Amino acid sequence: MLRETWALTARELKHWYRVKVQIFMTLIQPIVWLGLFGQAFNIGVLLPSQTVPMFFSGAPDYFSFMAIGMLAVNALFTCMFSGMSIVWDRRFGFLNKLKVAPIPRGAVPISRILATVIRSTIQVSIVLAIALAFQYIPGLTGLTLKEGFGIVDLAGMFAVLFLLSTAFASLFTTIALAVENQETLFGVINLLNLPLMFASAALFPTAMMPDWLRAVADYNPLTWAADAMRQFAFIDPNPIHSLTADILGLLAVAVLLMGASVVVSRKLLSNR
Amino acid sequence: MTAIVEVKNLTKRFSEDVLAVDNVSFTVEEGEVFGFLGPNGAGKSTTINMLTTLLKPTSGKAIVAGFDLARQQDEVRKVIGLVPQDLTVDDELSGRENMYLQADLYNVDRDRAKRDIEDLLRVVNLEEAADRRVKTYSGGMRKRLELAEGLIHHPRILFLDEPTLGLDIQTRVAIWDYIKDLKAKHNITVFLTTHYLEEADGLCDRIAIIDRGKIVALDTPAALKRSVGGDVVDLIVDGTADFSGTIRQVDGILDVRREDGAYRIKAVKGEASIPKVLQAVSGQGGNVTSVSLSRPSLDQAFLEYTGRSMRDAEQSGGFDRAAAARASKRRR
Repeated sequence: MLRETWALTARELKHWYRVKVQIFMTLIQPIVWLGLFGQAFNIGVLLPSQTVPMFFSGAPDYFSFMAIGMLAVNALFTCMFSGMSIVWDRRFGFLNKLKVAPIPRGAVPISRILATVIRSTIQVSIVLAIALAFQYIPGLTGLTLKEGFGIVDLAGMFAVLFLLSTAFASLFTTIALAVENQETLFGVINLLNLPLMFASAALFPTAMMPDWLRAVADYNPLTWAADAMRQFAFIDPNPIHSLTADILGLLAVAVLLMGASVVVSRKLLSNR
Repeated sequence: MTAIVEVKNLTKRFSEDVLAVDNVSFTVEEGEVFGFLGPNGAGKSTTINMLTTLLKPTSGKAIVAGFDLARQQDEVRKVIGLVPQDLTVDDELSGRENMYLQADLYNVDRDRAKRDIEDLLRVVNLEEAADRRVKTYSGGMRKRLELAEGLIHHPRILFLDEPTLGLDIQTRVAIWDYIKDLKAKHNITVFLTTHYLEEADGLCDRIAIIDRGKIVALDTPAALKRSVGGDVVDLIVDGTADFSGTIRQVDGILDVRREDGAYRIKAVKGEASIPKVLQAVSGQGGNVTSVSLSRPSLDQAFLEYTGRSMRDAEQSGGFDRAAAARASKRRR
């Protein structure tokens, strides 16, 4: 079970890091998002400065608030393509090779999920480093963490990201197993992607949203992740949920979706 | 000899009007090279896909290496190797990496895998290219890599779906030699499908001729050809005299037909009959200007059993429906 899963995970990662353009994109995309979006929409300046941390989960400015949310969004963006390789493998016959091999069917989705989580962790680390580095560039706002931010807080943030990535990677891998066709998969990804991102606390405080939207956003896993990470990163005066609730929610979704991917693979990857 | 594959009444129906494999029964003996010969769309690949656990039979039963295909799929998977028709090696990995991945998928002991991989790469002549990405390989190299991959776990049965499709003649001959070697050195049972007559003829111990999802004949290549009738001798004699009667009286002649000065003679053994025929015709004053011998081919056998030649069968429209149904199923 472990050997073939790891072998397939390693294959995924090789596909990723051997394409140089992808590494480049990985670096450029967050710079663009943080640089343009984060700086341009610095809505914190519209508020009286002493009220900013209250609105933005304890962050000293909007950029810091948004940069943490951006980590979660970046995880989502990495995960949404995690099933793409299954579609390609189906097309080029590699999936048949896996179907003929005496491996548990679940190894197929789990290897993709694992590879995506590893990628996501690497990419998010880069985004975090860039957001912090902005502090030292004149004219830019950078990510300012709470005083006394320590290794435990950092580990907590990555644990949250791990759960979030597992959940989303499982979701999109399961969808890819089921749709079998690239165009449909793109359609579904687009359909889910933007609502997930905007109906969440990732880029914008839910407190400022209309009630109906807020009701949805508060139960978006992306919100849980952003909310939990902000409680590690800042001293949050009024978090949306408690840290425990956020983490348990993410854990439940991750376990549930990963289980679903295994169940679906058993059904769809055996002979029909 | 013991049976290693036993198939009974195997049927695959893709849809109401697409019956890809129709109630097929046969046995493959351990250690033989068994061939499915038929035109595209005859049901060859569908049969292989069922026997390798990729497709679920609509009905019927198959025992592969003693395991029931319906209930013991994982056991079946462990003892078979499949070299599919489409190339499935990973382009982004090197040849060697592909081999190691395959070894991991089949949980081959690591030390043994290391040794075998080097051996196999040498056998298929990919040693030098082993560390290059597969996307730089030619079609023949990919196929050879695919063959090597199919053997990494020492399968008892190797399934080859159109092993030389689209390859140049040199590569094709190399692959034939390799398959013969497998049988000679490792006693691996080989089950292959092909629509190349010379491939079936030269490689297989026994051939099943399959057409429209049914097995229409199953025997050794020699017996199949024999069943068509004997050799054919073509003879041209000067002048207008008719020597048909003379020729018919020669030993071992089955049939004579005359058109103008040309005679088409069917004989049990062509090469033995030629001198006798020549002697008889000369003895009656005939002047033979040309003689040629042709042996019965599998194509003639195919014609005999299906009522059409391979080429006609390839072109007939009915088969594309099965292929189209498969493709649409894949897309779903």
